[in-house]
This record gives sequence, C-alpha cells and structure tokens, in this order.
Amino acid sequence: MILATYDLWAFVSENREELLDGLLNTLKVSAFAIAGAFVIGLALGAARAHRIPVVSQLTAIYVEVIRNTPILVQIFFIFYALPQLGIVFDQFTVAWLSVMIWGGAFNSENFRAGFQAVAYRYREAGYALGFAPFSTFVNVTLPIGGRIALPSSINTYISVLKNTSLMYVIGYAELTTTSLNISNLTLQTTESLTMLAIVYLTLVWSLSALIRLLESRLALPESR
Amino acid sequence: MPDWIEPVARYVLFEGLPGTLRVSAIAVVGSALIGVVFGTLMTIRLLPLRALIRLYIEVFRGLPILVTVFIVYFGLPSAAPSLEFGPLTAASIALVLWGSAQVAEATRGAVQSIPNEQHEASSALGFGWVGRHRFVILPQALRRLLPPFVSLLVNIIQNSTLAQVIGGLEILEAGERQNERLSAIPPIGLGEIHAFEIFAGVAVLFFLISFPLTRLAAYLEQRLA
Repeated sequence: MILATYDLWAFVSENREELLDGLLNTLKVSAFAIAGAFVIGLALGAARAHRIPVVSQLTAIYVEVIRNTPILVQIFFIFYALPQLGIVFDQFTVAWLSVMIWGGAFNSENFRAGFQAVAYRYREAGYALGFAPFSTFVNVTLPIGGRIALPSSINTYISVLKNTSLMYVIGYAELTTTSLNISNLTLQTTESLTMLAIVYLTLVWSLSALIRLLESRLALPESR
Repeated sequence: MPDWIEPVARYVLFEGLPGTLRVSAIAVVGSALIGVVFGTLMTIRLLPLRALIRLYIEVFRGLPILVTVFIVYFGLPSAAPSLEFGPLTAASIALVLWGSAQVAEATRGAVQSIPNEQHEASSALGFGWVGRHRFVILPQALRRLLPPFVSLLVNIIQNSTLAQVIGGLEILEAGERQNERLSAIPPIGLGEIHAFEIFAGVAVLFFLISFPLTRLAAYLEQRLA
C-alpha cells in the first residue's frame, strides 16, 4: 500500500487518550515555565532597571548568554552535559527548566524596558510622599511599568509555549513527541502534522488575541 | 591539551560550521526576498491578496519552527514524492517560511511608515506602482528595516540548529556525533564522556557568532532611532 487515505478524525479519535496526555504535558510544562519566567523576569528586570550592583551585572551576563546561544544547544547542555558533573534531571524537569531559563532571560529584558519607561518624576513623587524605595517600586513603578511590559512579556510566554515542542529531542512526551511517535507506528504522518499545526495555532492565536484584549483594557489612562 | 580535542574541533569547524552557514545563508536571503515582496504587497488595497498574505504570516509565525521543519521534511514528501529534500535543505525551507513571515510583517510596517507625500511626489514625477516602490518607497523603508534584519540573521543562525533534529550536519549535530563517538566503547571510541566540554564549546561558538551581531543590531537601532 503506497497511497494511504487521509483521515484526520480517525487519527485523533483512535489515539485520543495519548494525544490528550501529550497536550496536558505541553500545557503543564508551559505553565511551570511561564510562572518561573514571570518571577525571574520581574525580579531581575527590576534589579536591572534600578541598577542594583552585582545582581544587575550578573543579570546582564545571564541575558547575553541565553540570547546569544540557541535554545536547542541549551537543552542539550542541560540534558547531556550537566550529568557529567553529576547534575542529573529527569525529562520533565529538563523540559520546564530549560524553557524557564530561556524565557526568564527574555522576560527580564521586557520588564527592564517597562520599568525604565516609567518617568523618574513618578518615583520622585513617591519618595516626596515618604514612600520607601521598595514601596515606591510596588506602588508606583510596578503598576505603570508592568503594564508597559505586559504585551512583550506575553509574546515571550507564547514563545515559551512554542519552544516546549523542542522537548522532542529529549523524548519528553509532550504533544509533538507523542503525536510523532504515534505516526511513526501508524504511518499517519500527514494527519499527525495537521493535528499538531491545528493545536499549536489554536493555542498561539488565542494567546495573541488575549494580548490585544489586555492591551486595550490595561492601557494607561493617559494613553487612552 | 588532551588528544581528543583536536579531531573534535576540526569536525565541528570544518564539517559542522559550513552546514550552519549554508542553512543560514539560504534562509536569510530567501526570507528577505519573499518577505519584502509579501510585505509590500500587503500595503495594496486588494482585500483577497491581503487576507492571503496575512494568513501566511499568522500561520508561519504561529507554528513552532520545529513543527514547520517536520512539515517540510516529513509532510511534503508524503503529499508529493517529488518534494523530498535533504535535512539541511528542508531546514532552510522551513526557516524561509518562518523568516519571510517575520520580514513581511516588518516590511509592511516600514512601508506604511513612509509619509504619503513620497507616494504623491513620485506619482507626480510619472512613476507607476512598481517604479514608485522600487526607486522611492522601498529604498527608504529598507533603511528602517536594517536593525530587524540583523536580529533576524541572529535568530536564523540560532534556529538553524533545528536541522539537527532531522539529522542535518550543522554545528550542534557535529558536536553530538563527536560526543557519541568519544563515548563509544574502544576501539570505536574512547569510552570517555566529554559531553560537557563539547556542548560548552558548541555554545561558545554560537556565542562568538551571535554576540557581535546582536551588538550591531543594538547599535543600528540606536543610530536610526
């Protein structure tokens, strides 16, 4: 048999449980990584915007290293190279850790830009009202700069979600790995790839729509 | 310096690096050509054409590039046997699909940012649509596109590692093959594990290529701002 018949529905329904598990793993890894990237981005972005000594310089190095090396090399490094030093992680940990480290670097740039866009006079006003530096950050810089950084940081989260597909190389059973493993056995390559395209585009397009919604709802009053 | 390093470094630099450069060169040139044409066509008031290009942009920017690589490498041959490509070519095509979508979106913005007077003045001088864009609008728009082009180049060089997943011989695959060779049992290999040194070396190599380019992009952005 050379000409296989194309039946997307059969592919999805016959492998429903496995594919759902794969999708759940993709979402689970993404959620872990996005939450981590948010915390890293917020903390390190604030440190860089306020030029906190040592932390700021270390963050700059972290950002440059991550931005200037391919994420696939980072994944290989964590999965194949670190065990040589006795640092061994299971596939799930490598999956969320590697995209979290990657996303955190990009996100700290997003937040740095957002916080730096807050005019200094706002912070001065905070100090003049007797706020301590930390409360000024929480009450003044964060609400304004955080909103400025929001669209670009969501873009980073979308990239984090897409990059979870790279866990195919370490064999972690997220959506891409699961779907291709099934089609390797059943030869339903076209169905498998169609399904992947539909699911990823649905996820990515929904998140993009969310950006547009949030952008209009969270826009700063003066730019409305 | 231990004996194993030299053959590994030679393999990565003389077998791997050319693969990375080949994929990157094809991908950058292809993305720029297709992207600029699509982006310029997006500014025409012809709804079906605009909708088609918009769909192209949203699909290839939305898909994980790895999935696009699989579609080109596994999907196209099963749709039409003549569309079978080697791993490096397949990766190049996938990167062109992704990169041209990025360039098209940036070009659309750059072309639309050229003030209307430029269109009117060149029309008054007797230029048709093609001449107007070829000689007046695009030369100005492309200057604004320079920083995003350099960033695109960095992204494409880094994403060329995706060829490794389908077995294309580029820097990462070269490092991985050497890693496997060294860890094999003698007499085939050395029975030694040097994964840390090899993958750290691969990362350093990419850093040395990318870092000057990201600096250049930042510099251009500042100068043109």
